[in-house]
Amino acid sequence: MIGASLSLTGDFSADGQAFDRGYKLWASDVNAAGGLLGRQVQLKILNDNSSPTQAQTNYQTLFAADKVDLAFGPFSSLLTTPSASVAARYGYALVEGAGGAPTVFESPANMSAHNVFDVSLPIEDELIPFVNWVASLPPNERPKTAAYPMADDPFADPPVQLAQQRLQALGVKTVYSKIFPAENASYKPAADQVAATGAQAVLLGSTDVPTVAAFMQAFEQQHYNPKMFICAAGPDQGASFTSAVGAGNATGMMVPNGWYPGYPNPESQKMVNEYVAKYGGSPSDVNADVAEAYSVGQVMAQAVNGTKGTDNAKIITYLHSGVTLTTVQGPVRFDNFGKNSSAAAFTFQWQQNGTEFKQVLPVSAAGSVTIINPKPNWTS
Amino acid sequence: MARQIYQAIVDGILVGGVYALMAVGLTLIFGVLDIINIAQGVLVILGAYLSYSLETRLGVDLFLGLLITIPAMFVIGVFIQWAFIRRLRGRERTSMTLLVTYAVALIIEGILYEIYGPNPKQLTASYVQSSVHVFGFYLSYIYLYGFVLAVVLVVAIYLLLYRTRLGRSVRATMQDETAARLIGIEVNRVAALTFGVGVAVTAAGGMLFGATNAFNPNSGYDLISRLLAIVILGGLGSIGGALAASVFMLTLESLVDIWSPEWAIVVFYAVLVLVLVIRPTGFFGRQPVRAQ
Amino acid sequence: MTGRMMSAVSRQRAAAGLALVLLAVAVIVFPVVFSSPVITNYAIYALIFIAVVTAWNMFSGFSGYISLGQAVFFGSGAYAVGIAARAWHITGVGVFALLPLAAAVGAVIAVPFGLVALRVRRHTFIVITIAVFFIFQLMAYNFAFTGGSVGVAAPFLPWSPTTFNDRFYYLTLGCAVVAVLVRRARFGLRLRAIRDDEDRARGLGVRTMRVKLAAFVLSATITGLVGGVWFLYLTQVQPPSGFDPLFDLSLVLMAFLGGLGTISGPIIGALIIEPGQLYLTIKYTNGYLSEILLGALFLAIVIFVPRGIVPTTGEWLRRLRTRGRPAVPPASQRAPAATGLRSEEPATSDEGRSRLKRRPEASGKKGRAGGTI
Repeated sequence: MIGASLSLTGDFSADGQAFDRGYKLWASDVNAAGGLLGRQVQLKILNDNSSPTQAQTNYQTLFAADKVDLAFGPFSSLLTTPSASVAARYGYALVEGAGGAPTVFESPANMSAHNVFDVSLPIEDELIPFVNWVASLPPNERPKTAAYPMADDPFADPPVQLAQQRLQALGVKTVYSKIFPAENASYKPAADQVAATGAQAVLLGSTDVPTVAAFMQAFEQQHYNPKMFICAAGPDQGASFTSAVGAGNATGMMVPNGWYPGYPNPESQKMVNEYVAKYGGSPSDVNADVAEAYSVGQVMAQAVNGTKGTDNAKIITYLHSGVTLTTVQGPVRFDNFGKNSSAAAFTFQWQQNGTEFKQVLPVSAAGSVTIINPKPNWTS
Repeated sequence: MARQIYQAIVDGILVGGVYALMAVGLTLIFGVLDIINIAQGVLVILGAYLSYSLETRLGVDLFLGLLITIPAMFVIGVFIQWAFIRRLRGRERTSMTLLVTYAVALIIEGILYEIYGPNPKQLTASYVQSSVHVFGFYLSYIYLYGFVLAVVLVVAIYLLLYRTRLGRSVRATMQDETAARLIGIEVNRVAALTFGVGVAVTAAGGMLFGATNAFNPNSGYDLISRLLAIVILGGLGSIGGALAASVFMLTLESLVDIWSPEWAIVVFYAVLVLVLVIRPTGFFGRQPVRAQ
Repeated sequence: MTGRMMSAVSRQRAAAGLALVLLAVAVIVFPVVFSSPVITNYAIYALIFIAVVTAWNMFSGFSGYISLGQAVFFGSGAYAVGIAARAWHITGVGVFALLPLAAAVGAVIAVPFGLVALRVRRHTFIVITIAVFFIFQLMAYNFAFTGGSVGVAAPFLPWSPTTFNDRFYYLTLGCAVVAVLVRRARFGLRLRAIRDDEDRARGLGVRTMRVKLAAFVLSATITGLVGGVWFLYLTQVQPPSGFDPLFDLSLVLMAFLGGLGTISGPIIGALIIEPGQLYLTIKYTNGYLSEILLGALFLAIVIFVPRGIVPTTGEWLRRLRTRGRPAVPPASQRAPAATGLRSEEPATSDEGRSRLKRRPEASGKKGRAGGTI
């Protein structure tokens, strides 16, 4: 039996529900193939309402009352830290896909028990492919100016700040770099300020679709169209994104990620098809969270098979042993902190009038298509 | 730099209009009926969702749709007051209204989640994205229309309060309920109607909010705190005060935003505290005669 | 006659004393009997809220000034412990020594907060507490030393789950006991006078500002202390959890459910609501039913048990006891029903009658002539 606490309601509910589907999809696939170590997998998912108190209570319930064998992580770095403490105390490994902020790995619990394993891309390096691409352009094609608006969130800021450092070193002038509060009313003023700078590139530290949608709308109202526009999160949410901003407007928007629906990996393709069959829509609609959740399951399965059992202490040792595992998001290999050091960062872009979500960077990576540059103007 | 300041002022005024629409209802309810309506935020969102459904299912234009959503919200408001709030009594009445409206907000939020799901939505229309070029600035149509609508509704409610019999009854009960009852005013009905009007205006605010922000059922919480601040600043029960305070606060915040977006919201609340310390009844509020 | 009365009274006292002793024993033995960490987890959160609601009630319940800013002290206490632990490199058991710091921080913040906020009337007071609350939450986001949106993490205590929970159980129990004891101190009468009729109280010589401030600071101190404990239990604090707007609303609800102004009321309210909320979310884990249920439950509470469980049960018990005897109902219970606009019915207090003479509020002129605020 595997237990997890997910944010099915509350602030993180959109992502939490996507994770829920991912975990369940994995479980049904595993069971269809004969289960784990011959036993059928039973998933027990509790709702934490996006609250750390509830998440902690949920894990205590799962460990002490339900006595689950294994644990999957919650959604978001905010909830992962207290959950990790609980897991550390009970001696469980916490395999998760959505707690990638540095604070998760540096938390006292993880430093002491080393029980957190994030299967997804560590966030700081997300925008490096984009930076490398800009560096690869001839100097007169690079953006002269760049704006770095960031939402106040440990997930959104580190990648943008790192990218800012690198781009500045390349000679791209910073015309705007501010952190704004992650609430609705703050988006428009910040966006208007960015529009007023006329920056040629915008690197938006966003965590969700509403932030991106607000910026895009404000830019459009101001008749401002940056040549390059990349966001930390939001455009990777599939249909959630395109329906909020309009498919036409989505074209040209870029976002980093470790996965996309068209990823030419057989397991990934199978997962995408199953998802579409079960929930409808098209492959591009599939939310990246689903792949993250699915990967969590896969990693756990490989650990269980590798240690031939569900002993958490052995699993922790096994996962830290430097073994490389495979998932729908690509290879996974954990470093000392539980970060996935094999994760490859890709950058994606919406193309074909907002119907295709394509991998565009790194340019040389298998599966990359031509990047659309500059970004087309807003359509409305 | 100057351009940034002008842009900020223009932004502040226009967005202030949107907030005014949401705040006017609250000031009526809070000021006249002494009800701390925490559900106002969620009701705004409910208005937004109603406009959303009308637009996506029936293709009704956002502004035209108001002809349907405003009466609908009026009915909802009257119902809430009649079913839950009317029977509250006692010394702790004000805190009880706080709890009741909080409970109602939870229920409405839960229902909205069930119906619409957590994914954010936004109202769209041709005039949402486009803008008019004036003096080197782009003013988007939706905000302009919204501001005009805000002024129209504020005037309408003012006329309601000061030129109609209902309005007189409302003001009378606001001053002295027992005396009002003594002269034959049906305070029960007045209370229900006032609450209904307060919620009805929210429908317009909701539509504007939904057109200018992506929203989901959870968006109500951010709103209510700002609305409460605006309403108190403007003076409880003062319609004009709500409009003035909205524009003032949003413009101030917009200006501070140039320097630091993070501190801009703090300024919002800090100014409120400051003003209240100096003038406890807000801009246009009236002085109480005795302690409460 | 006197002799009989005396023995009746002392019998009552003895019974109450015995009940108290039994209760104390039960509470102390609780974790041994119910050793599952899941249950002690619920108990810990319940105790945390008992302490905080009692502290809140200390001020708001009696004075009638509803404070929606307790989270300011709670979060500040939490952050104080976290920042101090980080700055002074304290790990392990030593962190508990930082708890008095949390209490002190709560007190220190409450003084200017109180001086500013307590000068205004009730409606404005509520909104000022909300405003200050948001200011603090936003400061937590903006300042570097609070860690910004990341917050602060507590040192890891490598105890076994049961031991961990048990130790925190006793710690929070201690906090709750302290809160209750402080609550029984002598403010009651003067604060109630302020609630009934502030101008008059001042006219009668009650130093209203001082009394209000003292109660406010005391309530803040305890809340800050509990905030520190909570931080160590959850092992992290972040702006949205340390300064959680729903926290304050829950406090009001719990105090309400139990009965504002009573001592045992908040205890019962917290005992019912906090574990109830945690449990309901687990039970109805799919969909939003739990939220709807919670809302419906709150509604039912406010509508059907408007004065709170403790006063209402007290009423029933008294009615049972005086059944058949011609009892003269207190004048306050005969007030006319109100419309929900401005009802003036004075509530009966179950903790004995106020000794101030109460003027009939017939004309409804409780400061409303001006209309606003």
